[in-house]
Amino acid sequence: MQERPKKVQLFHTCLINEVYPEVGMSVVRVLERLGIEVEVPLEQTCCGQPAYNAGFQADARTAARHTISVLQRTEGPIVIPSGSCADMVVHQYEVLFYGDEEWLAKAHGVAQRCHEFSQFLVDVLGMTGIGAHVEAKIAYHPSCHLLRGLGVRDQPKALLRAVEGVELVEFREQEECCGFGGMFSVKNPEISGSMMDRKLAAVEGSAADRLVSCDLGCLMHLAGGLNRRRSSLKTQHLAQVLDEGLR
Amino acid sequence: MISPFQERVQAALGDRNLHVALDRATAQLGGRQSMALSTLENSDLVRDVARRAKMEILSDLGGNLKRFEGQLLANGAQVHWAEDGRQANRIILEIAKQRGLKRVVKGKSMATEETHLNAALAKAGLEVVETDLGEYIVQLADSRPSHIILPIAHMTREDVGRLMEQRIGVPYSDDPRTLAGYAREKLRDAFLRADLGITGANFGVVQTGTICLVTNEGNGRMVTTLPRVHVVVMGIEKLVPTMADLDLFLKILARSATGQKLTAYTTLIRGPKKPDEESGPEELHVVLLDNGRSRILAGETAEILGCIRCGACLNACPIYKNIGGHAYGDTYPGPIGAIVTPGLRGLRDWNELPGASTLCGACREVCPVRLDIPRMLLSLRKDCVEQLPNPLGLRIGMKVYGMFASRPALYRRLAKLGRWFLRALAEEGWVKKKVPGLAAGWMRVRDLKAPAAMTFQELWRARKGGG
Amino acid sequence: MSEARATILARLRDAQRTARLPGERPGTPRSLEFASRSPEECLERFQRELTALGVETYLEASAADVRNRVMTLVAGRRLLSWDPELLPYQLASVLTSFIILGRNTREEQAAAEIGLTGCDAAIAETGSLVLLSGKGKSRAVSLLPATHVAVVRRGDLYFSMGEFFRKSGERLAESAGCTIITGPSRTADIELSLTLGVHGPGRVVVVIGP
Repeated sequence: MQERPKKVQLFHTCLINEVYPEVGMSVVRVLERLGIEVEVPLEQTCCGQPAYNAGFQADARTAARHTISVLQRTEGPIVIPSGSCADMVVHQYEVLFYGDEEWLAKAHGVAQRCHEFSQFLVDVLGMTGIGAHVEAKIAYHPSCHLLRGLGVRDQPKALLRAVEGVELVEFREQEECCGFGGMFSVKNPEISGSMMDRKLAAVEGSAADRLVSCDLGCLMHLAGGLNRRRSSLKTQHLAQVLDEGLR
Repeated sequence: MISPFQERVQAALGDRNLHVALDRATAQLGGRQSMALSTLENSDLVRDVARRAKMEILSDLGGNLKRFEGQLLANGAQVHWAEDGRQANRIILEIAKQRGLKRVVKGKSMATEETHLNAALAKAGLEVVETDLGEYIVQLADSRPSHIILPIAHMTREDVGRLMEQRIGVPYSDDPRTLAGYAREKLRDAFLRADLGITGANFGVVQTGTICLVTNEGNGRMVTTLPRVHVVVMGIEKLVPTMADLDLFLKILARSATGQKLTAYTTLIRGPKKPDEESGPEELHVVLLDNGRSRILAGETAEILGCIRCGACLNACPIYKNIGGHAYGDTYPGPIGAIVTPGLRGLRDWNELPGASTLCGACREVCPVRLDIPRMLLSLRKDCVEQLPNPLGLRIGMKVYGMFASRPALYRRLAKLGRWFLRALAEEGWVKKKVPGLAAGWMRVRDLKAPAAMTFQELWRARKGGG
Repeated sequence: MSEARATILARLRDAQRTARLPGERPGTPRSLEFASRSPEECLERFQRELTALGVETYLEASAADVRNRVMTLVAGRRLLSWDPELLPYQLASVLTSFIILGRNTREEQAAAEIGLTGCDAAIAETGSLVLLSGKGKSRAVSLLPATHVAVVRRGDLYFSMGEFFRKSGERLAESAGCTIITGPSRTADIELSLTLGVHGPGRVVVVIGP
């Protein structure tokens, strides 16, 4: 394995910035506890996914070029606490810049440095047990871009299992999409809602008291559904579980 | 104002019976499919080589078709080319008329669904009987198949029992075996009397001109053996290079479609019957159907022509599971349909299909030839934006998004405005008041979390500044 | 219709210029070697697959045993058969009473209870029977009756379909058609519930001889 990095750049994502800043702080705290210095390139805005998903590839490219430029001005590993944003940079940028040699090369250079948060902890730092302790029965929802886009299947579960006091609870149709899908959630709200209902029924039918994921899009969507049903099920990003367990 | 697609979707979502039927079908099928594919020796390699063979065909489709045609002719078959569905139907009607053929039995063929062949034949006064059990039931119901492999995935056994009681006057039963028995009796007579058999083709082998049909019931064999004329309607993309390639595809098709190693019958056709044979068709006609496939080949979704019509993507798709096949509105449902329908019929009337997906990637994972369906859906979404009128609000919104996403200071200010606005409508962290536009769609089925008071960057800067 | 042909080919030629066809995974071979095994392994595997398919299987040590077995299976039943001269193990010598043949009328053939055929080949890996069509080997024999009895010679067993294709190019080229039969006719169209014997034979019996 390569030499253990000492510093990382945090691509915090727009959802964390605007809606879930506390998750960003949890990510920072966990990384610092593991001896990693965190830097935040303050000029980052958005990876371009919303426009890309909606078919507005030219506008997505504008955002993507900015993102690449901002990240190019830095060095070292880039940590992204979102499966979908990480997949965007790592896989979709090469689709966006198809035919553009110059930007393909730049995108590739940045993509190589990017790791989703759980991927970074397990694959780069080589850690699963970080000395955290939380009493909880956790249902883990693997987000689609994380699971199938990036191929990250075991790392989040390994991290959760290694938290003392955590019991990972399995549930029906666990790897099925939750129905968020970005714009899909508002352009096809009924189908989105139907998929959400299936997912929530499966989780509620399990023994879990918490629903944990590595993607805030999924969590925002599922938490919104749980709130409407006045459920007591708690939702958390993986980083928040680890952060809680380290306090 | 709700679109026809949304109407169908709403109807499907509210149809409890549909969900009972769909759940019974897709859950089992998906499980069997993944089991069967994973127990295939070297399955990853087989899939890679199969994909490669399909891409080889597509990289010179015209040349391959010409070679295939050459072999077919050498084998004694007659070859016809059809630019579109109407032409294909006319060709078949002409064949029937010239020979005085009146009684048609059909094997399952999605290509003839595309061309609405049955309606054209019936209009011309021919008697047409669908012989695949699911298709037969669909025909009784005056309906359309809702799944590529399981035409009646949308029907429960009780539905079928009631339908048969009504349409063919048999005693009601909800036992599948009994119901299949009714069909067997009715159809056997049709087979023995038919003079024209029409099927599709699962594969056409360029090297030898062999037509391959993959079936389970035996109706395919009946249709290709008993009537004196056999017509094959084949999409021009259904080719594979060699018999060795055919072997690979046979390994993965049944496993992906039904979880079987092989279907009960794999029929290889190499021409009409020999003069001294007692059975088999006297004439074999092959209709090569374009109907929009050449247009698909010209674009970014060309890869979809490598589809072998196994239906695995349907069983894996959470959207299909929720809305069923009819909601997709045309011949091909599910992920494959979301790409093929706009391709064959035009994007203008079918622009909602590529958007009706979360891009979860389950389809790509199960596809035996590894078609990158999410990539193609995204490409179609781009085509929709570039080729069709977009709501002004959306276009402006995206332009603004693009401009601001590259100007951090402006971005912060705009975001702050948005946050302030939503927070003003919120209570205890959740937006309570009705909001127009996108947020309204969101709030129809779930609550909207209000943005935070301070952004992450503000917290970060405060921490750094203070610390 | 050659106008349609010209139009379609022209469209395809144009399309090829802009067709987006992703490259394959580096290192993907052009083809795969077919699997092959020893005759003993073939036989063992063949029987195992047949059993899993619900096919009755009999392994007979001698030609006489094969003839006895077949007679037991078809005794007293209306029999439709390949031309007896084309059946293996001198079965023609024991099929002396009236049998329906391919040259009988369709109604007579449809009234048969059992269809008796040989096999041009068999595939061990999948438990499949390969029947080439030809004079005296009417396709109706293995299709119309409710029971199909197939007599297989051990020496005609291949391990894999790929092997069979590779070694049988000429035979396949000479025949108008080939049916590869893997188990009885079946459907699961109604709620995925399995029913055997829809249009083809619901009962398949295989007699393997030396």
